[in-house]
Amino acid sequence: MRLNLKYGDFLVILAIILIAVLFVVSFYEGNTDEKIAIVSQNGIVLDRIELNKISDRYEINYFGEYPGTIEINNGRIRFLHADCPDQVCVNTGWIDRPGQIAVCLPAGVIIKIEGVQTDVDIIVR
Amino acid sequence: MKKLTLNSLLISLALVLAFVERFIPLNLIVPVPGIKLGLANIVTMFALFQLDIPSAITITVLRCVLASLLFGGMSSLFYSLSGAFFALVIMILLKFGYEKVFSLVGISMGGAAAHNTGQLVAASLMMKNTAIFAYMPVLLVTGLATGLLTAIISMNLFKVFEKNNRVKLE
Repeated sequence: MRLNLKYGDFLVILAIILIAVLFVVSFYEGNTDEKIAIVSQNGIVLDRIELNKISDRYEINYFGEYPGTIEINNGRIRFLHADCPDQVCVNTGWIDRPGQIAVCLPAGVIIKIEGVQTDVDIIVR
Repeated sequence: MKKLTLNSLLISLALVLAFVERFIPLNLIVPVPGIKLGLANIVTMFALFQLDIPSAITITVLRCVLASLLFGGMSSLFYSLSGAFFALVIMILLKFGYEKVFSLVGISMGGAAAHNTGQLVAASLMMKNTAIFAYMPVLLVTGLATGLLTAIISMNLFKVFEKNNRVKLE
């Protein structure tokens, strides 16, 4: 079948791709020395975890209408299990790079990894 | 056919499409909250291009409310209304250039992108956290694909509708 595209259609596509690229650039964070996972629920920070410094497996439980558990292991973090209806959060799987997020929308929980550049070569004591 | 009857039929059709869509687990392929085909938008576009703007708004808003009551949960109402509002505004604006500047493809893609943006705005307000906008690129790009799909379906629907039995409203 023929789509009979008009020139405005290409402008729409171009605009959408341009906005997408702008968001990629503004949310991009290069690899950094330290990675901090910030777990927050409805605007309240539940926990801040320095992913590189945790060697043992670690769990965070959150509560509310749809409670769940977040797992941290080997410098990575994920939703281990959740009582939410869509399970998008669990399906997201492990995240470990600065700028990445994992979200459970029904529970209002978001995990965000932030990179921290220390810019310190030698510490003199 | 009475306008009220036609609009009621279109609302139930949109509800069926929204329900069927729940069995197409797009979020298993792209694990991002709120990702979907947007099949119910076919009904919105039909109303917008074959009926009038008030019908399109009524059908879309009532579809969102009923879908949330029936199977989405009330928390999803805010997301879907926000997405529907953004999508309707963009599609109504782009409609002014319909057949001159834009085809249904561009209008549908613009609507899909606007819908996803509206949902992210709602989510960031609900969670009091702007980090969710990290999903913007993937939602915009999938919107191009789903917008194209719903545009192709709508084009064929319009063709059949215009050729055969144009509804005569009393």
